[in-house]
Amino acid sequence: MEEILTNLYQMTAFSDIIASNGTYLIMYVLAFVLLYLGIVKHFEPLLLIPIAFGVLIANFPGGDMGVYQADEAGCIRDAAGNVLAENIWEMSLPQIAHDLGLMNFLYYMLIKTGFLPPVIFMGVGALTDFGPMLRNLRLSIFGAAAQLGIFAVLLVAVGSGFFNIKEAAALGIIGGADGPTAIYTTIKLAPHLLAPIAIAAYSYMALVPVIIPLVVKLTCSEKELKINMKEQDKLFPPTNKMKNEKVIKIIFPIAVTTIVALLVPSAVSLIGMLMFGNLLKEIGSDTSRLFDTISNSIMNTATVFLGLCVGATMTVQAFLNWTTIGIVIGGFFAFGLSIASGITMVKITNLFSKKKINPLIGATGLSAVPMASRVCNEISTKYDPKNHVLNYCMSSNVSGVIGSAVAAGVLISFLQNLSL
Amino acid sequence: MITNDIFGALQLMVVGMLTVFCILLIVIGLGTLLIKLVNKYAPEEVVAKQPVSTLMGAAGQVDATVKAVIDATISQITGGKGTASKITKL
Repeated sequence: MEEILTNLYQMTAFSDIIASNGTYLIMYVLAFVLLYLGIVKHFEPLLLIPIAFGVLIANFPGGDMGVYQADEAGCIRDAAGNVLAENIWEMSLPQIAHDLGLMNFLYYMLIKTGFLPPVIFMGVGALTDFGPMLRNLRLSIFGAAAQLGIFAVLLVAVGSGFFNIKEAAALGIIGGADGPTAIYTTIKLAPHLLAPIAIAAYSYMALVPVIIPLVVKLTCSEKELKINMKEQDKLFPPTNKMKNEKVIKIIFPIAVTTIVALLVPSAVSLIGMLMFGNLLKEIGSDTSRLFDTISNSIMNTATVFLGLCVGATMTVQAFLNWTTIGIVIGGFFAFGLSIASGITMVKITNLFSKKKINPLIGATGLSAVPMASRVCNEISTKYDPKNHVLNYCMSSNVSGVIGSAVAAGVLISFLQNLSL
Repeated sequence: MITNDIFGALQLMVVGMLTVFCILLIVIGLGTLLIKLVNKYAPEEVVAKQPVSTLMGAAGQVDATVKAVIDATISQITGGKGTASKITKL
Protein backbone atom coordinates (compact mmCIF):
# COMPACT_ATOMS: atom_id res chain seq x y z
CA MET A 1 0.00 0.00 0.00
CA GLU A 2 2.81 2.36 0.96
CA GLU A 3 4.61 1.54 -2.29
CA ILE A 4 1.50 2.34 -4.31
CA LEU A 5 1.13 5.65 -2.52
CA THR A 6 4.81 6.44 -3.08
CA ASN A 7 4.50 5.64 -6.78
CA LEU A 8 1.38 7.75 -6.95
CA TYR A 9 3.22 10.63 -5.30
CA GLN A 10 6.15 10.20 -7.71
CA MET A 11 3.72 10.24 -10.63
CA THR A 12 2.35 13.68 -9.74
CA ALA A 13 4.24 16.93 -10.21
CA PHE A 14 4.35 17.46 -6.43
CA SER A 15 7.45 15.31 -5.91
CA ASP A 16 9.59 17.45 -8.25
CA ILE A 17 8.04 20.73 -7.13
CA ILE A 18 8.78 20.00 -3.46
CA ALA A 19 12.28 18.78 -4.29
CA SER A 20 13.03 21.99 -6.19
CA ASN A 21 13.27 24.17 -3.06
CA GLY A 22 10.56 26.52 -4.24
CA THR A 23 12.03 27.48 -7.62
CA TYR A 24 8.94 26.22 -9.45
CA LEU A 25 6.77 28.19 -7.05
CA ILE A 26 8.59 31.39 -8.06
CA MET A 27 7.72 30.67 -11.68
CA TYR A 28 4.05 30.06 -10.77
CA VAL A 29 3.96 33.38 -8.89
CA LEU A 30 5.49 35.09 -11.93
CA ALA A 31 2.86 33.47 -14.18
CA PHE A 32 0.03 34.52 -11.85
CA VAL A 33 1.33 38.10 -11.61
CA LEU A 34 1.50 38.33 -15.41
CA LEU A 35 -1.98 36.82 -15.72
CA TYR A 36 -3.23 39.35 -13.16
CA LEU A 37 -1.66 42.25 -15.08
CA GLY A 38 -3.18 41.03 -18.33
CA ILE A 39 -6.65 40.06 -17.11
CA VAL A 40 -7.36 42.53 -14.30
CA LYS A 41 -5.15 45.51 -15.17
CA HIS A 42 -5.61 45.09 -18.95
CA PHE A 43 -1.87 45.62 -19.58
CA GLU A 44 -1.27 44.30 -23.14
CA PRO A 45 -3.72 41.38 -22.53
CA LEU A 46 -3.34 39.97 -26.04
CA LEU A 47 0.32 39.28 -25.38
CA LEU A 48 0.70 38.98 -21.63
CA ILE A 49 -2.02 36.36 -21.22
CA PRO A 50 -0.56 33.86 -23.75
CA ILE A 51 2.95 34.52 -22.38
CA ALA A 52 1.81 34.06 -18.79
CA PHE A 53 -0.05 30.86 -19.61
CA GLY A 54 3.00 29.62 -21.50
CA VAL A 55 5.09 30.23 -18.36
CA LEU A 56 2.57 28.34 -16.28
CA ILE A 57 2.30 25.22 -18.43
CA ALA A 58 6.05 25.10 -19.10
CA ASN A 59 6.84 24.76 -15.43
CA PHE A 60 4.95 21.64 -14.44
CA PRO A 61 7.58 18.90 -14.07
CA GLY A 62 6.80 15.96 -16.33
CA GLY A 63 4.50 18.04 -18.55
CA ASP A 64 7.11 18.33 -21.35
CA MET A 65 5.81 21.77 -22.27
CA GLY A 66 8.95 23.75 -21.50
CA VAL A 67 11.24 24.79 -24.34
CA TYR A 68 14.79 23.46 -24.23
CA GLN A 69 17.52 25.78 -25.47
CA ALA A 70 20.13 24.15 -27.66
CA ASP A 71 23.79 25.04 -27.20
CA GLU A 72 25.91 26.20 -30.13
CA ALA A 73 26.49 22.60 -31.26
CA GLY A 74 22.74 21.96 -31.18
CA CYS A 75 22.95 19.69 -28.12
CA ILE A 76 19.99 19.71 -25.76
CA ARG A 77 20.23 18.72 -22.10
CA ASP A 78 17.68 18.53 -19.34
CA ALA A 79 18.05 20.21 -15.91
CA ALA A 80 20.11 17.28 -14.62
CA GLY A 81 22.53 17.55 -17.55
CA ASN A 82 21.32 14.42 -19.37
CA VAL A 83 21.56 14.67 -23.16
CA LEU A 84 18.08 14.68 -24.72
CA ALA A 85 19.19 15.37 -28.28
CA GLU A 86 22.71 15.24 -29.70
CA ASN A 87 22.08 17.74 -32.47
CA ILE A 88 18.66 19.30 -32.82
CA TRP A 89 19.57 20.86 -36.19
CA GLU A 90 19.74 17.38 -37.69
CA MET A 91 16.35 16.36 -36.29
CA SER A 92 13.18 16.52 -38.36
CA LEU A 93 10.21 18.46 -36.99
CA PRO A 94 8.11 15.31 -36.32
CA GLN A 95 11.09 13.88 -34.44
CA ILE A 96 11.37 17.06 -32.33
CA ALA A 97 7.64 16.84 -31.59
CA HIS A 98 7.97 13.18 -30.63
CA ASP A 99 11.15 13.43 -28.54
CA LEU A 100 10.86 16.89 -27.00
CA GLY A 101 7.14 17.63 -26.98
CA LEU A 102 4.64 19.92 -28.67
CA MET A 103 6.00 23.23 -27.42
CA ASN A 104 9.54 22.51 -28.68
CA PHE A 105 8.06 21.60 -32.07
CA LEU A 106 6.27 24.97 -32.22
CA TYR A 107 9.26 26.88 -30.88
CA TYR A 108 11.84 25.42 -33.27
CA MET A 109 9.48 25.69 -36.23
CA LEU A 110 8.02 29.16 -35.65
CA ILE A 111 10.34 31.14 -33.39
CA LYS A 112 13.82 29.76 -33.87
CA THR A 113 13.51 30.11 -37.62
CA GLY A 114 12.65 33.80 -37.15
CA PHE A 115 9.30 33.22 -38.87
CA LEU A 116 6.80 34.79 -36.47
CA PRO A 117 8.28 38.27 -35.72
CA PRO A 118 8.13 39.42 -39.38
CA VAL A 119 4.63 37.93 -39.70
CA ILE A 120 3.54 39.97 -36.68
CA PHE A 121 5.20 43.03 -38.20
CA MET A 122 3.05 42.48 -41.28
CA GLY A 123 -0.06 42.58 -39.08
CA VAL A 124 1.25 45.65 -37.24
CA GLY A 125 1.76 47.35 -40.60
CA ALA A 126 -1.83 46.59 -41.56
CA LEU A 127 -3.01 48.22 -38.34
CA THR A 128 -0.73 51.26 -38.65
CA ASP A 129 -1.78 54.57 -40.13
CA PHE A 130 1.11 56.63 -41.49
CA GLY A 131 -1.25 59.60 -41.95
CA PRO A 132 -0.26 61.40 -38.69
CA MET A 133 3.41 60.88 -39.55
CA LEU A 134 2.98 62.27 -43.08
CA ARG A 135 1.01 65.25 -41.75
CA ASN A 136 3.80 66.06 -39.25
CA LEU A 137 6.91 64.76 -40.98
CA ARG A 138 9.23 67.10 -39.07
CA LEU A 139 8.30 65.41 -35.79
CA SER A 140 9.35 61.99 -37.12
CA ILE A 141 12.99 62.70 -36.36
CA PHE A 142 12.32 62.19 -32.65
CA GLY A 143 11.74 58.53 -33.48
CA ALA A 144 15.47 58.38 -34.24
CA ALA A 145 16.58 60.18 -31.07
CA ALA A 146 14.65 57.72 -28.94
CA GLN A 147 16.83 54.83 -30.13
CA LEU A 148 19.76 56.10 -28.07
CA GLY A 149 18.72 53.91 -25.12
CA ILE A 150 19.43 50.79 -27.23
CA PHE A 151 23.04 51.72 -27.91
CA ALA A 152 23.72 53.33 -24.52
CA VAL A 153 22.69 50.16 -22.68
CA LEU A 154 24.66 48.05 -25.17
CA LEU A 155 27.74 50.06 -24.25
CA VAL A 156 27.12 49.84 -20.49
CA ALA A 157 26.32 46.12 -20.65
CA VAL A 158 29.56 45.39 -22.51
CA GLY A 159 31.48 47.58 -20.06
CA SER A 160 30.06 45.64 -17.12
CA GLY A 161 31.84 42.53 -18.42
CA PHE A 162 28.72 40.53 -17.62
CA PHE A 163 27.52 40.27 -21.21
CA ASN A 164 29.40 39.73 -24.46
CA ILE A 165 28.70 42.20 -27.27
CA LYS A 166 26.05 40.02 -28.94
CA GLU A 167 24.18 39.50 -25.67
CA ALA A 168 24.50 43.21 -24.86
CA ALA A 169 22.98 44.12 -28.24
CA ALA A 170 20.04 41.79 -27.61
CA LEU A 171 19.61 43.39 -24.18
CA GLY A 172 19.82 46.93 -25.56
CA ILE A 173 17.13 46.32 -28.17
CA ILE A 174 14.58 46.19 -25.32
CA GLY A 175 14.95 49.99 -25.40
CA GLY A 176 13.31 49.98 -28.83
CA ALA A 177 10.04 49.06 -27.05
CA ASP A 178 9.10 46.79 -29.88
CA GLY A 179 8.37 43.15 -29.01
CA PRO A 180 8.77 41.50 -32.44
CA THR A 181 11.97 43.48 -33.11
CA ALA A 182 13.41 42.48 -29.73
CA ILE A 183 12.59 38.81 -30.36
CA TYR A 184 13.92 38.85 -33.91
CA THR A 185 17.21 40.49 -32.86
CA THR A 186 17.64 38.12 -29.93
CA ILE A 187 17.04 35.05 -32.11
CA LYS A 188 19.75 36.28 -34.45
CA LEU A 189 22.32 37.36 -31.84
CA ALA A 190 21.73 35.60 -28.51
CA PRO A 191 18.99 32.95 -28.79
CA HIS A 192 19.78 31.55 -25.33
CA LEU A 193 18.55 34.86 -23.83
CA LEU A 194 15.23 34.86 -25.68
CA ALA A 195 13.11 34.08 -22.63
CA PRO A 196 14.20 36.87 -20.28
CA ILE A 197 14.53 39.42 -23.09
CA ALA A 198 11.07 38.70 -24.47
CA ILE A 199 9.45 38.86 -21.06
CA ALA A 200 11.34 42.06 -20.15
CA ALA A 201 10.44 43.70 -23.49
CA TYR A 202 6.75 42.85 -23.26
CA SER A 203 6.52 43.61 -19.54
CA TYR A 204 8.01 47.07 -19.98
CA MET A 205 5.74 47.68 -22.98
CA ALA A 206 2.83 46.76 -20.74
CA LEU A 207 4.20 49.15 -18.13
CA VAL A 208 4.39 52.11 -20.54
CA PRO A 209 1.56 53.87 -18.60
CA VAL A 210 3.83 53.79 -15.55
CA ILE A 211 7.30 54.32 -17.06
CA ILE A 212 6.57 57.27 -19.39
CA PRO A 213 4.90 59.44 -16.68
CA LEU A 214 7.83 58.65 -14.38
CA VAL A 215 10.48 59.75 -16.90
CA VAL A 216 8.40 62.77 -17.97
CA LYS A 217 8.04 63.86 -14.34
CA LEU A 218 11.81 63.62 -13.88
CA THR A 219 12.73 65.48 -17.06
CA CYS A 220 10.00 67.99 -17.99
CA SER A 221 8.68 71.19 -16.43
CA GLU A 222 4.99 72.09 -16.25
CA LYS A 223 5.58 74.98 -18.67
CA GLU A 224 7.02 72.61 -21.27
CA LEU A 225 4.16 70.16 -20.89
CA LYS A 226 1.66 72.96 -21.47
CA ILE A 227 3.02 73.76 -24.95
CA ASN A 228 -0.07 73.57 -27.13
CA MET A 229 0.76 72.08 -30.53
CA LYS A 230 -2.42 73.29 -32.23
CA GLU A 231 -1.70 76.86 -31.20
CA GLN A 232 1.86 76.45 -32.45
CA ASP A 233 0.44 75.20 -35.76
CA LYS A 234 -1.73 78.33 -35.99
CA LEU A 235 1.30 80.55 -35.34
CA PHE A 236 3.57 78.60 -37.69
CA PRO A 237 1.35 76.68 -40.16
CA PRO A 238 2.81 73.48 -41.67
CA THR A 239 4.05 73.98 -45.23
CA ASN A 240 3.22 70.55 -46.66
CA LYS A 241 -0.48 69.88 -46.75
CA MET A 242 -1.53 66.71 -48.53
CA LYS A 243 -3.98 67.22 -51.39
CA ASN A 244 -4.31 63.54 -52.21
CA GLU A 245 -3.66 61.53 -49.06
CA LYS A 246 -4.71 58.19 -50.55
CA VAL A 247 -2.12 58.24 -53.35
CA ILE A 248 0.64 59.40 -50.99
CA LYS A 249 -0.18 56.68 -48.48
CA ILE A 250 0.00 54.03 -51.22
CA ILE A 251 3.35 55.20 -52.62
CA PHE A 252 4.93 55.82 -49.19
CA PRO A 253 5.33 52.16 -48.03
CA ILE A 254 6.72 51.15 -51.43
CA ALA A 255 9.23 54.02 -51.42
CA VAL A 256 10.32 53.49 -47.79
CA THR A 257 10.84 49.74 -48.32
CA THR A 258 12.96 50.40 -51.39
CA ILE A 259 15.13 53.00 -49.65
CA VAL A 260 15.62 50.96 -46.46
CA ALA A 261 16.30 47.79 -48.48
CA LEU A 262 19.05 49.57 -50.37
CA LEU A 263 20.68 51.11 -47.28
CA VAL A 264 20.12 48.53 -44.51
CA PRO A 265 19.24 45.19 -46.18
CA SER A 266 19.23 43.32 -42.86
CA ALA A 267 16.22 45.41 -41.73
CA VAL A 268 14.13 44.42 -44.74
CA SER A 269 12.58 41.35 -43.15
CA LEU A 270 10.98 43.65 -40.55
CA ILE A 271 10.46 46.92 -42.46
CA GLY A 272 9.48 45.13 -45.66
CA MET A 273 6.76 43.10 -43.94
CA LEU A 274 5.57 46.16 -41.99
CA MET A 275 5.23 48.16 -45.18
CA PHE A 276 3.65 45.26 -47.10
CA GLY A 277 0.91 45.02 -44.46
CA ASN A 278 0.43 48.78 -44.61
CA LEU A 279 0.27 48.78 -48.41
CA LEU A 280 -2.52 46.18 -48.40
CA LYS A 281 -4.44 48.41 -45.99
CA GLU A 282 -3.96 51.59 -47.99
CA ILE A 283 -4.86 50.11 -51.40
CA GLY A 284 -8.37 49.65 -50.08
CA SER A 285 -11.17 47.55 -51.57
CA ASP A 286 -8.99 45.75 -54.15
CA THR A 287 -6.94 44.09 -51.41
CA SER A 288 -9.46 44.26 -48.58
CA ARG A 289 -9.63 40.46 -48.30
CA LEU A 290 -5.87 40.20 -47.86
CA PHE A 291 -5.89 43.11 -45.43
CA ASP A 292 -8.64 41.45 -43.43
CA THR A 293 -6.70 38.16 -43.32
CA ILE A 294 -3.38 39.60 -42.19
CA SER A 295 -4.84 42.03 -39.67
CA ASN A 296 -7.13 39.45 -38.09
CA SER A 297 -6.60 35.73 -38.77
CA ILE A 298 -2.84 35.71 -39.36
CA MET A 299 -2.02 38.37 -36.78
CA ASN A 300 -4.10 36.67 -34.09
CA THR A 301 -2.75 33.20 -34.86
CA ALA A 302 0.84 34.51 -34.83
CA THR A 303 0.24 36.33 -31.54
CA VAL A 304 -1.15 33.22 -29.86
CA PHE A 305 1.80 31.01 -30.87
CA LEU A 306 4.41 33.72 -30.23
CA GLY A 307 3.04 34.37 -26.75
CA LEU A 308 2.77 30.72 -25.79
CA CYS A 309 6.21 29.81 -27.16
CA VAL A 310 7.94 32.79 -25.54
CA GLY A 311 6.23 31.94 -22.26
CA ALA A 312 7.29 28.31 -22.58
CA THR A 313 10.94 29.33 -22.89
CA MET A 314 10.74 30.66 -19.33
CA THR A 315 11.56 27.50 -17.50
CA VAL A 316 13.16 27.41 -14.06
CA GLN A 317 16.54 26.57 -15.59
CA ALA A 318 16.44 29.35 -18.18
CA PHE A 319 14.92 32.08 -16.07
CA LEU A 320 16.11 31.97 -12.47
CA ASN A 321 19.69 33.17 -12.78
CA TRP A 322 21.74 36.37 -12.50
CA THR A 323 21.72 36.98 -16.25
CA THR A 324 17.95 37.37 -16.13
CA ILE A 325 18.17 39.86 -13.28
CA GLY A 326 20.80 41.80 -15.28
CA ILE A 327 18.47 41.80 -18.29
CA VAL A 328 15.48 43.02 -16.25
CA ILE A 329 17.53 45.92 -14.81
CA GLY A 330 19.31 46.70 -18.10
CA GLY A 331 16.03 46.56 -20.02
CA PHE A 332 14.46 49.09 -17.68
CA PHE A 333 17.35 51.52 -18.20
CA ALA A 334 17.24 51.00 -21.97
CA PHE A 335 13.54 51.83 -21.92
CA GLY A 336 13.93 54.85 -19.65
CA LEU A 337 16.93 56.20 -21.57
CA SER A 338 15.07 55.92 -24.88
CA ILE A 339 12.21 58.02 -23.51
CA ALA A 340 14.62 60.54 -21.93
CA SER A 341 16.71 60.90 -25.10
CA GLY A 342 13.59 61.62 -27.19
CA ILE A 343 12.57 64.31 -24.68
CA THR A 344 16.10 65.78 -24.67
CA MET A 345 16.11 65.99 -28.47
CA VAL A 346 12.85 68.00 -28.34
CA LYS A 347 14.34 70.34 -25.75
CA ILE A 348 17.43 70.90 -27.90
CA THR A 349 15.21 71.57 -30.95
CA ASN A 350 13.15 74.08 -28.93
CA LEU A 351 16.33 76.03 -28.16
CA PHE A 352 16.85 76.77 -31.85
CA SER A 353 13.30 76.81 -33.22
CA LYS A 354 10.62 79.49 -32.99
CA LYS A 355 7.91 76.86 -33.24
CA LYS A 356 7.97 75.12 -29.87
CA ILE A 357 7.30 71.40 -29.53
CA ASN A 358 5.77 69.66 -26.55
CA PRO A 359 8.46 67.31 -25.09
CA LEU A 360 5.86 64.55 -24.83
CA ILE A 361 6.30 64.13 -28.59
CA GLY A 362 9.90 63.12 -27.95
CA ALA A 363 8.81 60.69 -25.25
CA THR A 364 6.79 58.73 -27.83
CA GLY A 365 9.81 58.26 -30.07
CA LEU A 366 10.14 54.72 -28.79
CA SER A 367 7.75 52.27 -30.47
CA ALA A 368 4.96 50.83 -28.24
CA VAL A 369 2.34 52.04 -30.73
CA PRO A 370 -0.21 53.41 -29.92
CA MET A 371 -0.09 53.03 -26.14
CA ALA A 372 2.80 55.51 -25.72
CA SER A 373 0.86 58.16 -27.65
CA ARG A 374 -2.29 57.57 -25.63
CA VAL A 375 -0.37 57.86 -22.37
CA CYS A 376 1.30 61.10 -23.47
CA ASN A 377 -2.05 62.53 -24.56
CA GLU A 378 -3.41 61.78 -21.09
CA ILE A 379 -0.45 63.56 -19.50
CA SER A 380 -0.87 66.67 -21.67
CA THR A 381 -4.63 66.91 -21.06
CA LYS A 382 -3.96 66.64 -17.33
CA TYR A 383 -2.02 69.92 -17.52
CA ASP A 384 -4.33 71.53 -20.08
CA PRO A 385 -7.63 69.76 -20.92
CA LYS A 386 -7.69 71.37 -24.39
CA ASN A 387 -4.17 70.30 -25.30
CA HIS A 388 -4.60 67.06 -27.28
CA VAL A 389 -1.22 65.90 -28.61
CA LEU A 390 -2.26 62.41 -29.77
CA ASN A 391 -1.89 63.05 -33.51
CA TYR A 392 1.49 64.72 -33.06
CA CYS A 393 2.72 61.94 -30.77
CA MET A 394 1.67 59.32 -33.33
CA SER A 395 4.12 60.85 -35.80
CA SER A 396 7.20 60.17 -33.67
CA ASN A 397 5.63 56.97 -32.35
CA VAL A 398 5.22 55.45 -35.82
CA SER A 399 8.65 56.65 -36.94
CA GLY A 400 9.99 54.98 -33.79
CA VAL A 401 8.86 51.63 -35.21
CA ILE A 402 10.93 52.29 -38.33
CA GLY A 403 13.80 53.58 -36.17
CA SER A 404 13.94 50.53 -33.91
CA ALA A 405 13.75 48.15 -36.89
CA VAL A 406 16.66 50.00 -38.54
CA ALA A 407 18.63 49.89 -35.28
CA ALA A 408 17.97 46.14 -35.11
CA GLY A 409 19.13 45.81 -38.72
CA VAL A 410 22.40 47.60 -37.91
CA LEU A 411 23.02 45.39 -34.87
CA ILE A 412 22.29 42.20 -36.80
CA SER A 413 24.40 43.12 -39.80
CA PHE A 414 27.41 44.09 -37.65
CA LEU A 415 27.25 41.32 -35.07
CA GLN A 416 25.56 38.26 -36.57
CA ASN A 417 28.69 36.85 -38.15
CA LEU A 418 31.03 37.98 -35.39
CA SER A 419 32.75 35.03 -33.75
CA LEU A 420 33.37 35.41 -30.03
CA MET B 1 39.10 41.71 -24.40
CA ILE B 2 36.55 43.93 -22.62
CA THR B 3 38.39 47.05 -23.85
CA ASN B 4 38.03 45.77 -27.41
CA ASP B 5 34.35 45.04 -26.83
CA ILE B 6 33.78 48.53 -25.38
CA PHE B 7 35.50 50.07 -28.38
CA GLY B 8 33.32 47.90 -30.65
CA ALA B 9 30.19 48.91 -28.75
CA LEU B 10 31.13 52.58 -28.99
CA GLN B 11 31.66 52.23 -32.74
CA LEU B 12 28.34 50.46 -33.03
CA MET B 13 26.65 53.26 -31.08
CA VAL B 14 28.01 55.95 -33.40
CA VAL B 15 27.30 53.99 -36.58
CA GLY B 16 23.88 52.82 -35.35
CA MET B 17 22.62 56.25 -34.28
CA LEU B 18 23.96 57.87 -37.46
CA THR B 19 22.25 55.22 -39.58
CA VAL B 20 18.92 55.60 -37.76
CA PHE B 21 19.07 59.41 -38.09
CA CYS B 22 20.07 59.20 -41.76
CA ILE B 23 17.30 56.73 -42.61
CA LEU B 24 14.63 58.79 -40.86
CA LEU B 25 15.92 62.01 -42.45
CA ILE B 26 15.70 60.26 -45.82
CA VAL B 27 12.17 59.08 -44.96
CA ILE B 28 11.24 62.67 -44.04
CA GLY B 29 12.77 63.99 -47.25
CA LEU B 30 11.08 61.26 -49.25
CA GLY B 31 7.73 62.02 -47.65
CA THR B 32 8.10 65.74 -48.33
CA LEU B 33 9.07 65.10 -51.95
CA LEU B 34 6.19 62.67 -52.36
CA ILE B 35 3.68 65.18 -50.99
CA LYS B 36 5.00 67.92 -53.29
CA LEU B 37 4.95 65.68 -56.38
CA VAL B 38 1.49 64.27 -55.69
CA ASN B 39 0.14 67.74 -54.86
CA LYS B 40 1.51 68.98 -58.18
CA TYR B 41 0.74 66.10 -60.54
CA ALA B 42 -2.10 64.15 -58.93
CA PRO B 43 -4.13 66.38 -56.65
CA GLU B 44 -7.42 64.85 -55.64
CA GLU B 45 -10.35 65.99 -57.68
CA VAL B 46 -12.53 68.17 -55.52
CA VAL B 47 -16.04 66.84 -55.66
CA ALA B 48 -18.40 69.78 -55.38
CA LYS B 49 -20.70 69.30 -52.42
CA GLN B 50 -24.33 69.23 -53.34
CA PRO B 51 -25.90 72.35 -51.92
CA VAL B 52 -28.27 71.70 -49.06
CA SER B 53 -30.97 73.58 -50.89
CA THR B 54 -31.23 70.73 -53.42
CA LEU B 55 -31.75 68.24 -50.61
CA MET B 56 -34.26 70.43 -48.84
CA GLY B 57 -37.25 71.72 -50.69
CA ALA B 58 -38.07 75.38 -50.92
CA ALA B 59 -40.36 75.22 -47.93
CA GLY B 60 -37.88 73.13 -45.91
CA GLN B 61 -39.36 69.89 -47.28
CA VAL B 62 -36.86 66.98 -47.29
CA ASP B 63 -36.10 65.35 -50.62
CA ALA B 64 -37.79 61.94 -50.93
CA THR B 65 -34.53 60.07 -51.59
CA VAL B 66 -32.84 61.62 -48.58
CA LYS B 67 -35.84 60.81 -46.41
CA ALA B 68 -35.83 57.20 -47.68
CA VAL B 69 -32.13 56.84 -46.78
CA ILE B 70 -32.67 58.28 -43.28
CA ASP B 71 -35.71 56.05 -42.71
CA ALA B 72 -33.81 52.95 -43.88
CA THR B 73 -30.88 53.78 -41.59
CA ILE B 74 -33.12 54.30 -38.56
CA SER B 75 -34.99 51.12 -39.36
CA GLN B 76 -31.71 49.18 -39.63
CA ILE B 77 -30.35 50.54 -36.33
CA THR B 78 -33.55 50.22 -34.29
CA GLY B 79 -34.64 46.91 -35.78
CA GLY B 80 -37.70 48.49 -37.43
CA LYS B 81 -39.02 50.04 -34.22
CA GLY B 82 -37.88 53.63 -34.70
CA THR B 83 -39.21 56.32 -37.01
CA ALA B 84 -38.05 59.81 -37.93
CA SER B 85 -40.58 62.32 -36.64
CA LYS B 86 -38.77 65.45 -37.77
CA ILE B 87 -35.80 66.15 -40.05
CA THR B 88 -34.07 69.52 -39.69
CA LYS B 89 -30.80 70.90 -41.03
CA LEU B 90 -28.27 71.55 -38.27
